[in-house]
Amino acid sequence: MLQYIVRRVLLLVPTFIGVTFLAFAIMLAAPGDPVELFLSGGLAAGTEGVNTERLAEIEEEKERLRHELGLDRSIPVQYGMWFSRLVRGDLGDSIKDRQPVWNKIRDRLPVTIVLNTLAILITYLIAIPLGIYSAVRTGSWLDQASTLAVFMLYSLPVFWVGTLIIIFFCGGDFFAWFPPAGLHSLAYEPDWPWWQSAGDYLYHLAMPLLCTTYGAFAALSRFMRSSMLENARQDYIRTARAKGLSEPVVILKHMLRNSLIPVITILAGLLPALIGGSVIIETIFSIPGIGQLGYQSVLARDYPVVLALFAASTFLTLLGILLSDIALAVVDPRISFGRASR
Amino acid sequence: MGGLDVSRSGRGVAVALALILLLCVACGDPEQGETGTPAGSADGTPTVGQAEGTPVRGDWLVLQMLSDPENLNPLTSNDAGASRVLSWLFPALIQLDYETLEQKPLLARALPEVSEDHLTYTYRLREGVTFSDGTPVTAEDVVFYLKAVRHPLVNAPHARNYFNSVADATAVDPQTVRLDLAEVYFRNDYTLGSINPLPRHYYDPENLLEGISVADLNGWDGLDPEPKEKARRFAKHFNEDFQRRPMGPGAYRLEDPDRDWITGERVVLRHRDDYWAQDQTDLEDGWVDRLLFRVINDREAALVAFKSGNLDVLSLSPIQHHKQTGSARFRERAGKHRELSGSFTYIGWNQKRTVFQDRRVRQALSHLVDKQNIVDKVMLGLAEPVESPIFRKRPEYNQALEPWPHDPKRARELLKEAGWTDSDGDGILDKEIDGQRLPLRFELISNAGNDERKKVGLVVIDHFKKVGIDASFRSVDWSILLEKAKGFDYDAVVLGWTGTAAIPPDAYQIWHSSQAIAGGSNFIAFKSEEVDRILEDYRVEFDAAKRKVLYDRFQEILYQEQPYTFLYAPEGVTAWDRRFHGVTWYPGLGSRLNEWWVPGPDQKYP
Repeated sequence: MLQYIVRRVLLLVPTFIGVTFLAFAIMLAAPGDPVELFLSGGLAAGTEGVNTERLAEIEEEKERLRHELGLDRSIPVQYGMWFSRLVRGDLGDSIKDRQPVWNKIRDRLPVTIVLNTLAILITYLIAIPLGIYSAVRTGSWLDQASTLAVFMLYSLPVFWVGTLIIIFFCGGDFFAWFPPAGLHSLAYEPDWPWWQSAGDYLYHLAMPLLCTTYGAFAALSRFMRSSMLENARQDYIRTARAKGLSEPVVILKHMLRNSLIPVITILAGLLPALIGGSVIIETIFSIPGIGQLGYQSVLARDYPVVLALFAASTFLTLLGILLSDIALAVVDPRISFGRASR
Repeated sequence: MGGLDVSRSGRGVAVALALILLLCVACGDPEQGETGTPAGSADGTPTVGQAEGTPVRGDWLVLQMLSDPENLNPLTSNDAGASRVLSWLFPALIQLDYETLEQKPLLARALPEVSEDHLTYTYRLREGVTFSDGTPVTAEDVVFYLKAVRHPLVNAPHARNYFNSVADATAVDPQTVRLDLAEVYFRNDYTLGSINPLPRHYYDPENLLEGISVADLNGWDGLDPEPKEKARRFAKHFNEDFQRRPMGPGAYRLEDPDRDWITGERVVLRHRDDYWAQDQTDLEDGWVDRLLFRVINDREAALVAFKSGNLDVLSLSPIQHHKQTGSARFRERAGKHRELSGSFTYIGWNQKRTVFQDRRVRQALSHLVDKQNIVDKVMLGLAEPVESPIFRKRPEYNQALEPWPHDPKRARELLKEAGWTDSDGDGILDKEIDGQRLPLRFELISNAGNDERKKVGLVVIDHFKKVGIDASFRSVDWSILLEKAKGFDYDAVVLGWTGTAAIPPDAYQIWHSSQAIAGGSNFIAFKSEEVDRILEDYRVEFDAAKRKVLYDRFQEILYQEQPYTFLYAPEGVTAWDRRFHGVTWYPGLGSRLNEWWVPGPDQKYP
């Protein structure tokens, strides 16, 4: 077991390097150049164009900027520079505003994590029981109705639902039940007591949270349901019933426990999901989260920020996979570790 | 993203214009709809929105921002949202008089003394002006601004180029600063007037730039190692340490960045009780206690927030103007103001292509375009057809230009005159050029993501097809469009330029033949000797009346030549909360928010 874990952890390193290098290369090879966007002459100059007498100077500035940012080196060299800084814990500075990348991420991390943690909790708390119920009462009207409902929710595009929610429930001409934008009331002062701040915060998060979760029930509840049904057909369930166990015990103790094993594999995706953000939801509700940061950075070709976010989610994905594999091995003795079995 | 798009780009706006203009509401981009002319006052007099009384202090003004300003260093930030905030903190030496469009002093005591040869400008500073930390503004702070902007390692390349011609700057005495220029240009007044003194003691506390002059920084490579090292250290601190804590001589200040600036949510500016021109709105004092800039990314959410009273000013999209803001309830609470913007949309014909070198062909194509139809269908009526690149609200606009007629018949005649006929009967016009029979076929391109231009493109190719022109339209990525323009590798483009009523136009960059090179702004390769001469004379003419004569002729030539088919200038609609008084709309400029005030009983915030 220990050997297995060590081996898996060591394997993370080359995988991480491979993935980030690919991303790095693709990003730099894609058209667009932060320096060009920052400082383009001619057409992009806006108001009255740019004087060609200045073009030489602008070109010089561009060269200097490129050199300063290391953009004039080859991709492997640039990657090497980036990676060696990363190892030392330095994510570099944003090209756009020269702020340390970490500061930019740090500003946007809390709301993203709170929103995603709540969303994941709610999704699981609703979808798992729903899946169990649907499996136990297969074919009942509630099973069918809930199936219909979760798939309808799944099919509703979030940009549409979000806009409807804002128009109808966030003030304006209809009900002013929730705020349409931001995370704090206008009157908010940082010296509010904690419970008032927290209440205000959650009140602002309610609708974005609704939009984040409503589409997620379908996949998880169906997954749970089919996993339960698969187990229901197994011999050991028949045995359990045959030996006279009560139905709740059969379902909750035997069937449920075994059905949860495949659900563990889904857990792998949870870690990166914690710091991921939906650009659409964040934009509709004006939430300064990671999704927006990533999107804006891509548009501005702000490579250090994009890479930092990408590296973080790569790392968390790999870590998630590792943890779920280990967890699977722990809960299911039939799963063996690489070389130990054949 | 707005910044990628020509007519939406804040980045090219001369610092001169940006800083003068940003105090007003109407300086946003046209697609945010914050620009234009009062619908009801074509005669050019300002329209006053509310009955006046004696202004009183108090209340807050809540404004929308589309995104977080991110960087509030007045030199290194390069983003329209940040400029809006900064304009309240950093007034300039000279300001624009909104009623006369003339320049008048702000931090300077008077307009500058200019030498005979127009190469030396001397500014005397107003007495008693202080930064928000209480220290007086001195000539040193003006010189410091120029040092910082001309310092090659300061991260302000966009601003640096506007001050190319500044050869040196000298503080003659604490109240007097002399600027030496290398080049005569009538707009030097405006560029230099836009300088906003930066507190040297705050932005360079170690005085690292002491003993280094602007001239030294201009000749960076020849600088001695020791001062160079100091200058390097300065640039590093300046670029990195002042992103979140601006400090200037304006009527408002960012008191405590940790409390007043929540990233991605809001920036709060508080009024200075010690402002050096208390209650003087003509010196940029404002009446409200707080300016609260809220980040709302979504236009629908912003409208809802406005309707709920959580925003005080909002620019409306055409559809919001027509469909969502007409109720009696809305009108009772909010005023709406419509204004023509200085931007315009056009089709540019690449004159490196043989077909478009023939003036008759360009004229014919312009005759085929139904501008009014485009205004009605694409812009829902919120635009006006234009005939010239000069903003109609500027005195330089040539009033004699008639609307270019939509006349397909005349277009056919012109094409026939130019030799384009359907000789092989395939429905497409053709002509023999250099022994080869060529069809009249071209592709219009525009930048992907701009829906408005795409619609324009699709409408006009329809107009062209009707007379047997095989035109097509394609949206391309912005970076690809830039490449194509650089290499003159396209047939025709649908694009836009932004403009402003605040400062005299200078069309040199876009229309002079010397600019028709790779990377230049004359990317349609328009060449006319007479236009070249006019543009050159105009730049060194200091008499406004004479400049007007020159530009009347210039516009006449463009009108005849039709190098662009000029399409329309969009109109913006601004909604504002009626509790505000003192809301005056200046033609072509918008409103000055610092003049807005709320009577005591109506005040909403503490």
